[in-house]
Amino acid sequence: MSATIAAAAVVQLAGAVALAPLIPGAVRAVERRLQGLRGPSPLQPYRELRRLWRRSGVAPVPRTAVYAVAPPLAAAATLAAALLVPVGAVAPDWGLGGDALLLVGLLALGRAALALAAWDTGSGFALMGAARDLAFAPYLEALLLAVVAIAAVGAGTTDLGEIAAATAERPLLSAPEQWLAALAFALVAVAESGRRPYDNPDTHLELTMIHEGPLLEYAGRELALLQWTAAVRQWVAIVLGVALFAPVGGPWAGRVAALAGLVAVAVVALAVSETAQAKMRLLRVPRWVGAGVAVCAVAVVLRAIGGAP
Amino acid sequence: MSAVPALAWAGAAALLAGAIAAALRPRAGLALQAVGAALLGAAGAAVALGAPAVGAGFRSDLSPALGIDGLGGVFLALIAAVAAPACAAAADLLPAGRRGAAVAALTGAFVLALAAVVAARDALTLLAAWELMTLVPAIAILVARSDAAARRTIFVYLAITHIAGVGAWVALLALAEVGALGGAPLDGAAGFAVALAALVGFGAKAGLVPLHAWLPRAHPIAPAHLSALMSGAMVAVALYGLIRVLFQWTEPAPVAVAALALAGLASALGGALQAAVARELKTLLAFSTIENVGVAAVALAAALALRAAGDDGAAALALAAALLALLGHALAKGLLFLCSGAIAASAGTLALDGLGGLARRLPWTGGAFAVGALTLAAVPPLAGFVAEWATLQALLRAAGSGSPWLGLAVSAAVVTLAATAGLALLAFVKAIGLTLLGEPRSAGAATAREAPAAIRAAVGGLAVAAVALALASGPLIGALASLGPSGAPDVGLGLGLPDSGGLPVPALALWLVAATAVLAWLAARGGRAAPAPAWACGQPADPRLAWTAGGFAKLLTLTAAVALRPRRELLVETGRDGTVVGVEHRSTEARLLDGALYAPVLGAALAAAGRARRLQSGSLRAYLGYLLALVAALLAAVRIGALG
Repeated sequence: MSATIAAAAVVQLAGAVALAPLIPGAVRAVERRLQGLRGPSPLQPYRELRRLWRRSGVAPVPRTAVYAVAPPLAAAATLAAALLVPVGAVAPDWGLGGDALLLVGLLALGRAALALAAWDTGSGFALMGAARDLAFAPYLEALLLAVVAIAAVGAGTTDLGEIAAATAERPLLSAPEQWLAALAFALVAVAESGRRPYDNPDTHLELTMIHEGPLLEYAGRELALLQWTAAVRQWVAIVLGVALFAPVGGPWAGRVAALAGLVAVAVVALAVSETAQAKMRLLRVPRWVGAGVAVCAVAVVLRAIGGAP
Repeated sequence: MSAVPALAWAGAAALLAGAIAAALRPRAGLALQAVGAALLGAAGAAVALGAPAVGAGFRSDLSPALGIDGLGGVFLALIAAVAAPACAAAADLLPAGRRGAAVAALTGAFVLALAAVVAARDALTLLAAWELMTLVPAIAILVARSDAAARRTIFVYLAITHIAGVGAWVALLALAEVGALGGAPLDGAAGFAVALAALVGFGAKAGLVPLHAWLPRAHPIAPAHLSALMSGAMVAVALYGLIRVLFQWTEPAPVAVAALALAGLASALGGALQAAVARELKTLLAFSTIENVGVAAVALAAALALRAAGDDGAAALALAAALLALLGHALAKGLLFLCSGAIAASAGTLALDGLGGLARRLPWTGGAFAVGALTLAAVPPLAGFVAEWATLQALLRAAGSGSPWLGLAVSAAVVTLAATAGLALLAFVKAIGLTLLGEPRSAGAATAREAPAAIRAAVGGLAVAAVALALASGPLIGALASLGPSGAPDVGLGLGLPDSGGLPVPALALWLVAATAVLAWLAARGGRAAPAPAWACGQPADPRLAWTAGGFAKLLTLTAAVALRPRRELLVETGRDGTVVGVEHRSTEARLLDGALYAPVLGAALAAAGRARRLQSGSLRAYLGYLLALVAALLAAVRIGALG
C-alpha cells in the first residue's frame, strides 16, 4: 500500500509540476486541428516557459513588495491545491490534509494574490481583469461549493481522498444526483481553468480577457510562474472532476491509465467545446452559473425524494 | 482561592479609576483603562481555558450578583482584546481638550458596561449594564461631534435598538419570573415566545438583518476607537446574550432556529454585498460587521439544529465555530477601525477614492491593515477562513444527519456562505488596493505620515494576535467546543476533525511561506529591468483614468442589480456658448431594506401619530368629553361586573 501512496505522490507532483503545461498545449493543438489549421505543437507552452525563464522581469512604477510576492504566492497556493487532490483514488499525505473546502480556499487565495498585484501597479488593463475575476468569484465559489457539498454529503466526509475512495467503490455515476453534480462541475471547471465560453485564454484583448488581465504587467520568470500556475489550475480542475465523479478502483496501473485516459478525454472535450462556442457576454456569466446552481438544486431534491443511499 | 477574582476586581477597579482619571488627564486615564481591560481579559481567558468558574452562578431572583464562567470568560477576553489596544491608541486618536477628555472618560465607562453585561448573573444587573452599553457610546458620539447629521444618526440608533431592545427586557424578565435563569430551561410555547423576543432584542443590537439599519450609520460616525469597540466587541456581546437565552435558558422551537438561520444568512449575504460596493472605508467595515455577525448567527443556528438532532459533538463544533468567528472578527475589525482612525487623521479622508499608496507612506499601519483585511477576506490560512471552514463543516454535518429536506435547506445555506466569502474577498481586496496600493489619489494621501508609536503598537499587537489566533485555532477550537453552556462534553476537537480532510493551519502556513519564499528567490534571480511606468497603451498614466471603488465593483453591481438597484446620474455642465465644461458622473446603490421595510413602517408610524394627535385638540370641551366618556365606560363596566 505504501508503494501505491508513494507512486500516487509521484503522479501528483509529476502531473502538477511537469505535465500541467501540456494541457493548454494539447487543447490548443487539438482545437486548431478541429478548425482545419495546423497549429503549434502541444509542447509549445514548455518552449514559452523556457523562453520566459531566460528573460529578466520588469519593474513597473508604482509598485510595492506585493508585485513581487503575488506570482510566487499564487503558484504556491495553486500547487498546494494540486497536492490536495487524490489521483487514482489515492491521497498521499503531504501534511496539508486533504480537505475539499480548503481546496476552494486555496484557489481563492491565488485569485486574491493576483488581484492585489493588479491594484499594486494600478494598471488599467490588469485591474479590468482582476475586477471581472473577483466579481464572478462569488457566483463560481457558490456553484463549486454546491457541487462539493453534494459529493461530501453523499460520501459523509469532506476528505477528498475518502470521497474518491467511497465513489470508486460504487458503480460509475450510478446515482442521478452524481450526473447532475458532474454537469454543474463541468461549468465550474471551464471557468476556473479560464476557458471559453467563460474566458478566452488566447487573447490579450481587453474586451474579452479575465485571467490574462493581471498577467499583463509581468514578464520574465514571474510571467513564467503565472503561466505555469494557470496550467496547474486547469490540471486541478480536471483531476478534481475525476476524483469527485469518476475515480476508478482496482489495480494501481489501471487507475493511472484510467486517469490518463480521462485527462485526455477532458482535453478533447475542452477543445471541442472551445471550437463550438464563442466567448459569452460578460453579463451572462451569472445566469450561466445560475443554471449550474439550479442543476445542483435538482440533484439535492432528487436525493431528498429518493432518500439517501 | 485562585487569583482570578483578584485579577478581575483589579481590572474593573483600574477601568473605573481610568475612566475617572481620564476626565482630568486623558492620556494617563486611557493608559490605566488599557491596563484594566487587559487584567479583566486575563481573568476571562484563564476561566475560558479551564480555570474553575468564579463568582456567583446565574440566579432568578433580582439581587445583584457577578461571576465569570467559561462562556463569559471567552467574551471577557474578546472585549479585552479589542479594548486594551483601543484605549492605548485612543490617546493619539482623540483631539486634545475637554471634548477629548470627556470621550476618554466615557470610553472607560463603555468598556465597564460591556464587561458588566458578560459578568452579570441576574436579570436586573444584566439589563442595567445592557442599557448602559447602548447609551454610553451614543453619548460619547454626541460629545465627539454635535452636527445635525450625527444627531439624526444617533436618533436612528437609539430608536431601533430601544424599540427592539424591549425584546431583551421581555425575554430576561420572563425568564427570571419562571426561574429559568440558573434553573431548568424554558420550553413549550413560553420558551418559543421568549426565544423570539430575545432574537429581536439581542439581534437588533448585534446588527442582524432586518434590524441592522442603525449599524452602518452609527459605526462610521463614531471616533475610531469607539467604532472598534462597538463593531468588534459590542455586537459580539449582543450575540453573547442570544447564546445564553437560546442555549442555556430556553429550548428553542425549530421555527425560532429557522428564524435565526434566515436572519443570519440574510445578514451575511446582504452585508457582504453592501461592503463590496461601499465607497467609504468605515462604511465598508460596518457592512462587513453585519456579514460577520451573520456568519456567526448561522453557525449558532446550526449548533441549535444539531443539538436538537442529538448530535452533541457537531453542535459543540458549530458553537466553537461561531465563537472563533466572533474572536477573529473582533481582532481584525478592531484593528481595521483603529487603522482607519490613523488614516483619517493622517490623510484627511476615508473616501476610498481619496486614499491610495499608503503602504509606502505608512508601512507599519499599512502592514497591520493588510493582515486584518486578509483575515476578514477569509483566505487561508488566516482566522476568517478557519472560522468559515469550521462553520461549513458543522453545516455539512447537519445536512448529513437530519431529514433530507433539512439537507436541502442546509445546502442553500452552504451556497449562500460560499457566495458571502467570495463577496468578502472582493470587498477587502478592494479595500487593500484602494487604501494601500497604487498611486495616492488625493493630496492628503500623498503627504500622509506614519501613525504615532502608540497606534502602531496597538494595531501591530492586534495583527500579531490575529495571526496567532489562526495558528492556535486547532487547540483553541477544542477548548471552545468544550464550554458550550449545554454542557457538551469535551469531544477533543482539533482541526483534524473526523469526516473531514482536516485543516492543519500551522503546516499550511509554513508551506505557503516556504514555497513562496523559494519561488520568489528563484524569480528574483532572473533579474529585473529598469523601472518604467505601468502599461497604459504607451501614454502617460492619467490620474483621472485610475480605477475607482465604484468601477471595481461595477460588474458586481450590474449582475446583482436585483438587490442593489443601481442608479446613475450624469451631470453635464455646459458653458454659456454651449460647450461642455464639465461632466460629473455619480452612481449610487440602494440599501434595499431601507426602502422596502423601513420607509413603509416609518410612514405608517408618522401617519398613526398624526391621527393620534387629533385627540389633543386643545379644546377644553373635548377633554371634558373624554372624561365623561371614561366615567361612563367605567360605570358601565362596573354595572356588567367586568371589574369584579
